[in-house]
Amino acid sequence: MKIMVCPLNGPRNISEFIYGGEVKAHPDRGSDAEWADYVFFEENAAGVVREWWYHAPTAYWFIAERNTVTEEIIRTYDAKELFKERVDFAPPPERGDG
Amino acid sequence: MAVAPTDFRRRSPVYRELEALGAEFAEVNGSAAAISCGREVAAETEQARTLGLCDLSALRRGGFKGWRTSEWLREEGVEVDDESNRAYPQTDGSLIARLSPGEVLILGDLSGASAILEKLMAAWNMAAGEGTYPVPRADTNCCFGVTGRFAGAMFAKLCGVDLRPEKFANRLVAQTSIARLNGIVIRADLGETLSYTLLTDSASASYMWGCLIDAADEFAGAPVGLDALRKLAER
Repeated sequence: MKIMVCPLNGPRNISEFIYGGEVKAHPDRGSDAEWADYVFFEENAAGVVREWWYHAPTAYWFIAERNTVTEEIIRTYDAKELFKERVDFAPPPERGDG
Repeated sequence: MAVAPTDFRRRSPVYRELEALGAEFAEVNGSAAAISCGREVAAETEQARTLGLCDLSALRRGGFKGWRTSEWLREEGVEVDDESNRAYPQTDGSLIARLSPGEVLILGDLSGASAILEKLMAAWNMAAGEGTYPVPRADTNCCFGVTGRFAGAMFAKLCGVDLRPEKFANRLVAQTSIARLNGIVIRADLGETLSYTLLTDSASASYMWGCLIDAADEFAGAPVGLDALRKLAER
């Protein structure tokens, strides 16, 4: 079985993890086309990619850097390393009271 | 006085399996706990030293989660170190397991009490508890004890994490897949006896109990009552 190193729990069988998609910029208040691209399309790059992964027994999301050609997992780390500030999801004022 | 699990509204999720073993029950926390599984305490204590399986579902447990949990615990006078996946014994007999920087699990003692958990539950409210909230585990999780010198070898059949005592020190915590179910394993030795506490989804308790019985068979493991574990903890 493949082993992935969870930043919280250490080495675990790959069957304990669930893939969560590529890490990409959130299209904050973007167009419908930008949102569709964000939600439905992936780059599927050959080479080193940065992805969200989930350790199911602890409900813990983290980030993994992985080479899709060699299947090597290069590094895993807590999402805090990339997301240092709180993201404000407050609705835009023009959509306030409908 | 002997009681039956059906005397109470709250029942262990494996009470039928325990009844079928001829278990003797006593009231713990408003439900019936198997204090023996059909044998004398001395025999069950000896069993628990080699490999015993014990239903601990009636014992007190709970927890808190949220980004401000550590700070709030400190404000309430409960000190728990920062290292995750470790369990910290408390003066009242409770064990606090840190599951992540923002979550703790609190297990009461073998009598079924946890003064710390009662105190924290009484102190918590929506306003004061901003950034932390209770995680009740009494009904969502079942809880089993696996004790004795073959417990580590038995877990090797069920779990990918190496839980053998020479690799997995006392009071370490593993959150992992056990018999293909997500669960929490805490090593908390009873006196000199190797002992693990296993928590998993209560809806799958019968399945897990069956897996444990099956895995223990190879090592002549058998179910034991709560009194056997209390004996081990005395020494």
